[in-house]
Amino acid sequence: MFGERTLYKLFFYSFAVLMFSYSAYLFVSNIDQLSVNREAVETRELTDVWDDERTVMNEFAGGFWKDAYFWKSLNLTLIITLITTLIVSLAGIPTAYALSRYKIPGKAIIEILFSSIMVLPASSVGLCLIVALNHGPLFELQKWMGFRFAHSIFPGMIIASIVLSFVFGVSAWKATFSSINPRFETVARSLGSSRWRAFRTITLPMSKGGLAAGIILAWTRTMAEFGAVLFFCGTFAELPASRFSDLVKFLKIDQADWLSVAVWSQIEYGNVEYGFALAYVLVIIGGFSVYLMHRIGAKGYIW
Amino acid sequence: MIEIRDLNGDLGDFKLRDINLKVNKGEYLVILGPTGAGKSVLIEYVVGIYNPGSGSIFVNDENIVPLPIEERNIAYVPQDYALFPNLSVEKNIAYGLAARNMPSKETHNIVNQIITTLKIEYIRHRMPLHLSGGEKQRVALGRALATKPSLVLMDEPLCALDENLRSNMAKELRRLQQETNSTFIHISHNFEEASDVADRIAIMNEGRIVQTGTLQELMENPKTEFTARFLKTQNIINAVTDGINIQINNATLVKKSCCKGNVIAAIRPENISIINDSNNNEENVFSAKIESVRLKPYYTEIIVNSVMPLILYSKNEQKHRPGDTIKIKLPQEKIILI
Repeated sequence: MFGERTLYKLFFYSFAVLMFSYSAYLFVSNIDQLSVNREAVETRELTDVWDDERTVMNEFAGGFWKDAYFWKSLNLTLIITLITTLIVSLAGIPTAYALSRYKIPGKAIIEILFSSIMVLPASSVGLCLIVALNHGPLFELQKWMGFRFAHSIFPGMIIASIVLSFVFGVSAWKATFSSINPRFETVARSLGSSRWRAFRTITLPMSKGGLAAGIILAWTRTMAEFGAVLFFCGTFAELPASRFSDLVKFLKIDQADWLSVAVWSQIEYGNVEYGFALAYVLVIIGGFSVYLMHRIGAKGYIW
Repeated sequence: MIEIRDLNGDLGDFKLRDINLKVNKGEYLVILGPTGAGKSVLIEYVVGIYNPGSGSIFVNDENIVPLPIEERNIAYVPQDYALFPNLSVEKNIAYGLAARNMPSKETHNIVNQIITTLKIEYIRHRMPLHLSGGEKQRVALGRALATKPSLVLMDEPLCALDENLRSNMAKELRRLQQETNSTFIHISHNFEEASDVADRIAIMNEGRIVQTGTLQELMENPKTEFTARFLKTQNIINAVTDGINIQINNATLVKKSCCKGNVIAAIRPENISIINDSNNNEENVFSAKIESVRLKPYYTEIIVNSVMPLILYSKNEQKHRPGDTIKIKLPQEKIILI
């Protein structure tokens, strides 16, 4: 009665509707807590928050959009995700192109490494980064340069979120380039086009759907990052304001956490509703990113 | 003029060996050979996709081996045409001109001229996805010719077309080549296709050029058994010659030659004639029993058992049936000794 495609669509949309409805239900069922204790918001002190989280933090549950911690965390996540996606795209697209087109020594090892990272738990990636960057010559180099990668927003969070995002992005872009016959470029070059012009005028327009899909995949993967950031950077909410640089304060990302880490920490401290609300925001951003991916023609590249 | 000298290439599981080939300006050369002979690999070396292990390729007396693809001025038309799917027909043809930073007015004139010559005005603004096989082929050729290359290399350009279209397009290719006075190298595994278009044919097998010549030269004087078989000389047998006669099985045929000893004797099916006079006792006339008769579009293929099993083509109206005995003549001048 239904084609395979229709069944897939039916399954996907039912699942999406169920997910959204359930999280919306959890959110709305706590609507009684939406009345925010203004006094508590205004007088909120970081030192107090953790002293009596049940009485203080619960005041914010449901009213999270009036809480600076939420906005700063969202700001932090979006800024770092944007920077990470930019770096991953700039480095990953040429890497994917090279892996797809050229005979590179050790290519098989690179591909195995990439696949291994893809199936690793993100927390292991975070631990690996700590081991790699907090010991040995790389640690000495950081000391010499006067800053530390671990437990920092810049560049710690970027490094932690780049690893998996890069691997996912490169795999999507490589698949895209591999699906384009290299003959097109050969013919373009035989007509007098330089290598770069052949890439720019032929391969790039042909692969735009796949490239966009890879960029959004890198974006959503970074946004959903949790384990690597938590293990490598930890949380920042409880740190005193003096610990943050002027740039971080200017960007309004001080005393904030990575959104998914914030979800975890709120639930960990008993603010389940707050955690759910943040998770709901993440779901909306993720859903919107996927919708965007379909709109710009990358449909079919991810599923 | 294009000259390939002592070209050797090693692609791991495939090797090109001692390729020597000359193509004159304005000449149409077909490289003919079976699948896996190395024809496509050879033109990929000429295009510049691979670097040869040794040897040189001269285009107008300049060795192009050290040059990158874009500086060789050799247009390449691959088997699937590789029309740029993101560009319209017009923009595909103009692509090479834009790469040379040609002013737009001049580009427009050249594109118009090509479109008129190829008779593709009606598809000018279409995208390649919406073209038929023949149209794609024309556009790919137009794109290649627009830049006035020293050489056009075409890899099996007619292979994707159906039988009727193939014959028309072969004539079209020949017309375009002559009108533009371009130098064409065309890869094919099809003998009929090669005979339709080629000035000269190079036979290739197992990574080597086996023989080069006009169609007539190759048919009349194949230097190897492979060439003879590939050019459809179907009657081939081992024989012994003493310089005057050749011995095949128990029969003796008159064939003067300069060599003595074991040879391979061959005769093309169309060169064997059926003798109607049963008392004819000319040299090389034998009686033959018809084994099978097969009607073909322009002739009848008859398989007979005579001094050896033979295939011959008959064009006369006379009906032959299996089991009949006829007289056939193997003209001395048409017998080839290899």
